[in-house]
Amino acid sequence: MTTTHDPVTLEVIKNNLDSIADQIALVLMRSAYSPIVRDSLDYSTGVCDRDGRFVAQGLTTALHLGSFPFAMANLVTRMGATMRPGDVYIFNDPYGSGGMHLPDIYLVKPVFIDGAVEGFATALVHHADVGGIAPGAMAVYATEIFQEGLRIPLMKLYDAGQLNETVTDFIGANVRIPRQVLGDLRAQLAGVNRGEQAMVELIRQYGAEEFRTYCRLLHDASETGMRAVIRAIPDGEYEAEDFIDGLGPDPEPIRFKVRMTVGGDTVTLDWTGTSPQVRAAINAPGPFVHSASYLAFRCLAGPELPNAQGYTLPIKVHAPAGTIVNPTLPAAANARGIVGFRVFDTVMQALGKAIPDRISAGGEGGAINFGVGGVMDGSHYVFGETTMGAWGGRPGLDGIDGAANLAANQSNQPVELIEAQNPLRIEQYGFLENSGGPGQHRGGMAIVRQYTFLAPSSTLTFRTDRRSHLPAGVGGGMPGTPNLNLLMRGGSQTELPVLPMEGYEVGHRDGFFQIMPGAGGYGDPRLREPSSVLEDLRNGKITADYAREIYGVVVAAGEVDMGETSRLRGAMSSAASDAHLSHFRSAQAARLAFGLALRDTGAEARP
Amino acid sequence: MQSDKAVRIGIDIGGTFTDIVAASGATIVGYEKLPSTPQDYSRAIETGVARLMARCGIRPDEIAAVVHATTVATNAILEGRGARTGLLTTAGFRDVLELQRIRIPELYNFNYEKPKPLVPRALRLEVRERLAHDGSVLRPLDLEGLETALERFRTEGIEALAISFLHAYANPVHEEVAAAAARRVLGPDVFLSVSSSVLPEIREYERTSTTVINAYVGPTVSSYVRRIRGVLDALGIGAPLRIMQSNGGVLNAEAVVGLPAAIVESGPAAGVIGGALIARDVSGGSAITIDMGGTTAKASLIENGQVTRTTEYEVGAGINISSMLVKGRGHALRLPVIDISEIGAGGGSIARVDAAGRLHVGPHSAGAEPGPVAYGRGGERATLTDAMVALGYLNDRAIAGGAVAIDRPAAEAAIREQVAGSVGGDVRQAAHGVYLLSASIMTRAVKAVTTLRGRDPRHFGLIAFGGNGALMAAQIADNMGIRRVVVPPMPGVFSATGLTTAAVQREIVQSHFCRLDERSAPGIAALVQTLSARARTLLLDDGCSADGIHIAVQADLRYAGQAYELTVPLTGAGTPAELCAQLSENFHAEHEHSYGHCSRSEPIDLVNLRIVAHDDDGLADLPQPSGGGSGESQPARSRDAYFGRGTGDLRTPILRRADLGSGPRPGPLIVEEYDATILIPPGWSAHLDGRGNVVLER
Repeated sequence: MTTTHDPVTLEVIKNNLDSIADQIALVLMRSAYSPIVRDSLDYSTGVCDRDGRFVAQGLTTALHLGSFPFAMANLVTRMGATMRPGDVYIFNDPYGSGGMHLPDIYLVKPVFIDGAVEGFATALVHHADVGGIAPGAMAVYATEIFQEGLRIPLMKLYDAGQLNETVTDFIGANVRIPRQVLGDLRAQLAGVNRGEQAMVELIRQYGAEEFRTYCRLLHDASETGMRAVIRAIPDGEYEAEDFIDGLGPDPEPIRFKVRMTVGGDTVTLDWTGTSPQVRAAINAPGPFVHSASYLAFRCLAGPELPNAQGYTLPIKVHAPAGTIVNPTLPAAANARGIVGFRVFDTVMQALGKAIPDRISAGGEGGAINFGVGGVMDGSHYVFGETTMGAWGGRPGLDGIDGAANLAANQSNQPVELIEAQNPLRIEQYGFLENSGGPGQHRGGMAIVRQYTFLAPSSTLTFRTDRRSHLPAGVGGGMPGTPNLNLLMRGGSQTELPVLPMEGYEVGHRDGFFQIMPGAGGYGDPRLREPSSVLEDLRNGKITADYAREIYGVVVAAGEVDMGETSRLRGAMSSAASDAHLSHFRSAQAARLAFGLALRDTGAEARP
Repeated sequence: MQSDKAVRIGIDIGGTFTDIVAASGATIVGYEKLPSTPQDYSRAIETGVARLMARCGIRPDEIAAVVHATTVATNAILEGRGARTGLLTTAGFRDVLELQRIRIPELYNFNYEKPKPLVPRALRLEVRERLAHDGSVLRPLDLEGLETALERFRTEGIEALAISFLHAYANPVHEEVAAAAARRVLGPDVFLSVSSSVLPEIREYERTSTTVINAYVGPTVSSYVRRIRGVLDALGIGAPLRIMQSNGGVLNAEAVVGLPAAIVESGPAAGVIGGALIARDVSGGSAITIDMGGTTAKASLIENGQVTRTTEYEVGAGINISSMLVKGRGHALRLPVIDISEIGAGGGSIARVDAAGRLHVGPHSAGAEPGPVAYGRGGERATLTDAMVALGYLNDRAIAGGAVAIDRPAAEAAIREQVAGSVGGDVRQAAHGVYLLSASIMTRAVKAVTTLRGRDPRHFGLIAFGGNGALMAAQIADNMGIRRVVVPPMPGVFSATGLTTAAVQREIVQSHFCRLDERSAPGIAALVQTLSARARTLLLDDGCSADGIHIAVQADLRYAGQAYELTVPLTGAGTPAELCAQLSENFHAEHEHSYGHCSRSEPIDLVNLRIVAHDDDGLADLPQPSGGGSGESQPARSRDAYFGRGTGDLRTPILRRADLGSGPRPGPLIVEEYDATILIPPGWSAHLDGRGNVVLER
């Protein structure tokens, strides 16, 4: 590099850019309306240089990480020549605008300094509804994008500071809950406006020329850091595959296959062999496979690597057209998040073959989407949430009970707020005993969430997975535990598919009982510290039978019997990979009985 | 009002030093700074107060009040040494405390470790009962199950019990029945903490966590307060003992024992209170305080003479950069806390260059031991203090009145080897890089309380205190476009001074969920009356006189459908409908102010009413050192100080505070005092104002 630069100024500008991305995120979160934005934080914010390459990202959804490069490249190419101060661009269309799926609406505001574009403030928000076949725009059973809601091609929401009311009128007329959606759009706009102002101040402080130089240096630093990470992985070809259980009541597994080729300081991820696109809303168009492919490497580089686009350069992604990771029009995509999680899981397994001592076991498989809507007291209600929260066992550390998936750092929603604002009741929310994959470092526990519907009639949709293809165990650790979806109606329960190809009509007092997958374990369970087993036993996370049969730990009078434990462990053959599942099923049955009893309440309260 | 002769004692305990200040009226009659005694903090208090009384001739009966800021509650949480605590919750929800809000505080960290819950799962028991959000009973409390659970708590030997039922903010009936039974079964010595009384606010995790924190620190705080009271009694001091709360008001020790979670952030609050009193001298009542010691920098915003508060706080979170976005590092505490943004950069912060050649400062600190290399106490890693020694900003022979010797060559060698070798340049350039980067990191703390809240820092002055605040303040001000910096007298004991001015304060919060319109107006107005009367009674019970009580009403409001509220004041009087109209107007304006947009046609929801009641016993002015700034004059001194590549070394006069006059004197200047050093860089000027503050301007 020939430029002499000042590492301190570089660090100062990086701090500033990070805080601008956080400012956009904060303004958005604090003034947003819909729960999925304000509580689940399903949105992303970014700051880009004049070429549209991101130089900072807010602390929000990691899977959205690679979502800016394609969209911004498209925008700069098509609109670069005609941009004016006060313009704000809007789009969501995955086919032609660089969008990901219809609920994710992008807003991009160019930052002008002395008449020239020197950067962009951006935010993409997963909106609560964009119309389409079912409330909440998450119906798995949409077969083409035309059933999924409003497609917004790249256009101006503001033209030189003037609001294009045609756009907002169109949006308002096409969604079920216009007040929420337009309110969120206002919050999103306030965010990018704040970001733009902050960028103007920052760039003026250093001058446009110098700012450009430092943006380039940030990209370089980011790229150099990533090359060092890849260089530390042994050269070679590593293959891995993972699955989504499949669609509807009679599921066919959907395959994810990656060939990871590491050579020096570059890596190629080739998704050839992955299943073709499907006639359901889980296809992931455009950039999403890139985002999800980058993520595992981004995590290996650690939090200190600058969040600048440079680090994507040494990572090549090949996704054949027509597959579920690169579908063509008119593939439906609204529930495509699941593909991102599975791409991430598959890359992690490939990395697990290359650097097993740095890679954790499989997590819960990603966010579960739950959506319900209908009419209550004469007006529409739509409720959507994402739930998740089990990390796989890690080298040297247990998995985590109740922590958001790394790929989608989203919050849960308070039960009290849900009940105060929707005709819903949450009957229970907590960990399921004897769940998760056993291991020297065990997987995070499965979580139970049970709903009762209070409106006369509502439509239920959801997206789950990992009932037949369990979260992977690593290094002798056991796989995690499976999902369960039960519709409770009257005294009977009906098991529902992981990815239903229909919406379910549910009536007053019907219920939904869900167990999320438990995460995989890391390392041989017989090597687990007996004191850790005892702690889990004391906390009612496992039972005494489980401690003995799965871990070979014998507890007597509240303490570990070390003699008996080592005798038992010596006699144990390497456990069958599903030995823990029968314990899990008993715990599941007991929890269901508890849940049924909770439904038996007398009086009713309506919001 | 107090008599002028009455002496108020302020006691501020930090990790390293215990500061004690005695003020009479508007004069500081003396102060003591002595090493803290972490094994039993009361020993340093006993020694220090006795010494101060003897030295200044203060009789026990002259002391009107002893005001104390303490980190005892925070430390109990940070060190995991609180009470063995149980939690009783609604059937189906015992894991709410451990699940938290699920979100993780870092994006790309495979090795994240979630904080352990303060109550382990084994001690979280459920009882069948269920309320709806409107407070109606869906399932009556299962009394038999209650007895079973309490019996279990008894055999487990818990020392404190938190009770938090779903929707209890709307109806306390089940919690009250459970609490009465708990008192009967567990006896009088177990500390009880009940969510509907601690924090009747919607959101189950936050309410439960706050209630649990209250229980967890309860026994520790009770015994600590008893011990301090004993020390005062032994010294013959009968004056009330008051404790600084996290919200900046003080409370009688007896009342603190009832709500110990209110003093979790007692320590840092004191300095901000002092800052509020001098803010009007800076820029019309609005200022940013920056308090910087050895390991962290803390920033806070004062607007129109008022400190700003937040109810979104995490205790045990370590460093808190941007309290609203980064969640999941600690345990949620939703009681009002002065909004302080803390960042891991201070004098002891370690400077290092990573494998990629990037320079970092902090968050690791050399602390007091081994300390910076320059202190010669075994520290080997270059710190910000070493950089400031190498730059000539700090005295190169000794600081703290000669108490700490400075080894400049050692500091320079450390900077040369650990920083200059990797990033290039000579020692001074490298040291200046460390200095600038530190200032930029600290600037993030200032941003967290200004730009992140829609406040333009250029409209505020900066008030700098703490051991290192005045060394960094001008650079931070430059980073933010701030043109005025104020350094109060005795910046090193500023927090203890602030304590002598704090007023007794009570806050009441009540969730009252309704649309803000004409229909709900009479109910809201009636509730304001009820809550105000309750607050007044509490203050009267605290010994305040009726005519000195001030009551401020605030409402947490949001547009219907939003989830985050803004707190706005209700100032005027009028009919219920007029009150609601005033609240609406204030809310629209605050929304515009904070987020840059508002929507006057949207309906507004009321979530909580807040009453802040205080007496007017606090001083209107910060007490001043007696005798102004006299002292024998010293021969003029100067040394070279380095101010960056463009400026280079400049011969910089070294002054004492008293050497400054009321006319501006241009920088570069360095003012050395017993407990702090003030840096006035070129481009800035300094003068002394009428209250003894050093004022920097550019």
